[in-house]
Amino acid sequence: MTRPFIEARDISKRFGALQALSGVDLDIFEGEVLALLGDNGAGKSTFVKILSGAHAPTGGDLVMDGRPVEFASPQDSAAAGIATIFQELALSENLSIAENVFLGRELTHRVLGVPFLRHTAMKRRVGELLRELDAHISDPEVPVGSLSGGQRQAVAISRALNLNARLVIMDEPTAALAVAETRKVLQLIRKLADSGRAVILVSHNMHDVFEVADRIAVFRRGRKIAEKMRAETNPEEVVSFITGAHPDVRALEMQS
Amino acid sequence: MRNPLDWFGRREALLAVACMAAVLLFSILSPYFFNADNLSAVLNNSVELLLVGLGMTLLLGVGGIDVSVGVAMGLAAIAVGRLLQAGVNPVVAGLAGPAAGLVIGAATGSVVVFGRIPAIVATLGLYGVYRAGIYLCLGGDWLSGLPVGLTDLVGTGIAGVPLAFPCVAITYLALYVALRRTPFGPHLLAIGHSEAKARLSGVSVNRTQMLAFIVSGALMGLAASFYVATYRNVEMTIGGTLALEAIAAVVLGGTSVTGGRVSLVGTILGVLLLRLLQNGLLLSGVPSLWQPVVTGLLLLTVLGIEAAQGRLSLATLLRPKGGRLASRVAQ
Repeated sequence: MTRPFIEARDISKRFGALQALSGVDLDIFEGEVLALLGDNGAGKSTFVKILSGAHAPTGGDLVMDGRPVEFASPQDSAAAGIATIFQELALSENLSIAENVFLGRELTHRVLGVPFLRHTAMKRRVGELLRELDAHISDPEVPVGSLSGGQRQAVAISRALNLNARLVIMDEPTAALAVAETRKVLQLIRKLADSGRAVILVSHNMHDVFEVADRIAVFRRGRKIAEKMRAETNPEEVVSFITGAHPDVRALEMQS
Repeated sequence: MRNPLDWFGRREALLAVACMAAVLLFSILSPYFFNADNLSAVLNNSVELLLVGLGMTLLLGVGGIDVSVGVAMGLAAIAVGRLLQAGVNPVVAGLAGPAAGLVIGAATGSVVVFGRIPAIVATLGLYGVYRAGIYLCLGGDWLSGLPVGLTDLVGTGIAGVPLAFPCVAITYLALYVALRRTPFGPHLLAIGHSEAKARLSGVSVNRTQMLAFIVSGALMGLAASFYVATYRNVEMTIGGTLALEAIAAVVLGGTSVTGGRVSLVGTILGVLLLRLLQNGLLLSGVPSLWQPVVTGLLLLTVLGIEAAQGRLSLATLLRPKGGRLASRVAQ
């Protein structure tokens, strides 16, 4: 078995009196789509926010390459190769695709101390990324506001790839999309994993999860209550984990 | 392909036509309007508003505003005037304008950016503070009959071209390059669109906003030097309507009042239209008391039209193909 890109060890998070996460162990591997499932408030978003540096865990460790790491900010997490694509994509509709992909990290060359944009180089790079994703967007100069929801996801993913992300976290990427668009985004997710990146998919949509995920982890009341390879389980079982109807969950919750 | 006309879009074309229509209309209404003297007077009267308006374009573009810019110009003008009175070399006195403006702009920007106070509220407060500053500096008196040194310098200009022309042209070009060719442009527009998203993307929001206020301040200070050169006095009420006029001209020019879209050419045309209307109405016998009314009505009309368009584009957004996008006119 290969070594995980990042390991969560006994992660817990407390917000005042609320125990949002407790004792979560989870390994995240490159080349694999890991789906996080669970009801609202089950703790999956909190877990993802710890990985992306938005929250610090109250207990436990994140381990990369055998060493514990601490993310004090989203910048730290990004520097470690983790890119988070939020549900409300942080894209500027009034800027072009290329400007969005490079926003805050523009390629420049300095003339007399003034940083001039390297438009051509940035356009070329964005063109490559969009081709790699097979996104069917021909012109990186088009404003993002004129793109469809799925195309915007492709731009957000391009932005993550441009940061050389090794783990891409996607929070409900298909929630607002039409069927054909959803299909396209699922293909993008598969492509990311096949190119050797780790992908975490947070989703409520059982169909999406079973179509694209390699491994499925179910959260309930702040705990990871199940972790299965896709081939070992089925939607009915996963739903019973989520709702707590599964005998294992009942047994677990009787104990505590 | 970027539309080669996108620095000169529909709004800019409309304004150019409106300017020509105004010239035509007032030529008919007044025998004193269409002659070289009057038209060059209109251009001369536009210099301060052009410089202040170009600065205001950046501020509105980044999602800010500065309603204190007129009185701030008064303070910079006092600095220039006092130096002239003290017999300082007019070149130095002239350059003191933008230097003072830069400092005031940095102060205004600091209050807005680091005080985390909405720009409209912060600059409204600063309007009062700067106004009091003018009273304190002038002590109830005017600066008047200032030495002609700076006036001569500005009038003679370079090779017979009045200094105002190259100053405005260089300002326009520098801002165009900054917006189009450096990260300042996309950063400014991203912040104007959504400060939170820009921050998430790693844009240094504070630095970009400060830079906009500092540049706007320096341009306001340059305008102060031209003001002193032209009128050779600084009165207590200096700059009273300048901020309103600048905001009206900029919004007229197609820059979004809420940020995220700017048009430098639009601002220039907006200033010219405003000054043409003011001059033409005066010559047609409309008392000058009505000038702020005209400015205010223009501003309200444009905002009203944009609100109506906003509702329209919301409706089109609900259509399946993503809807019409108000083109981002970068210049």
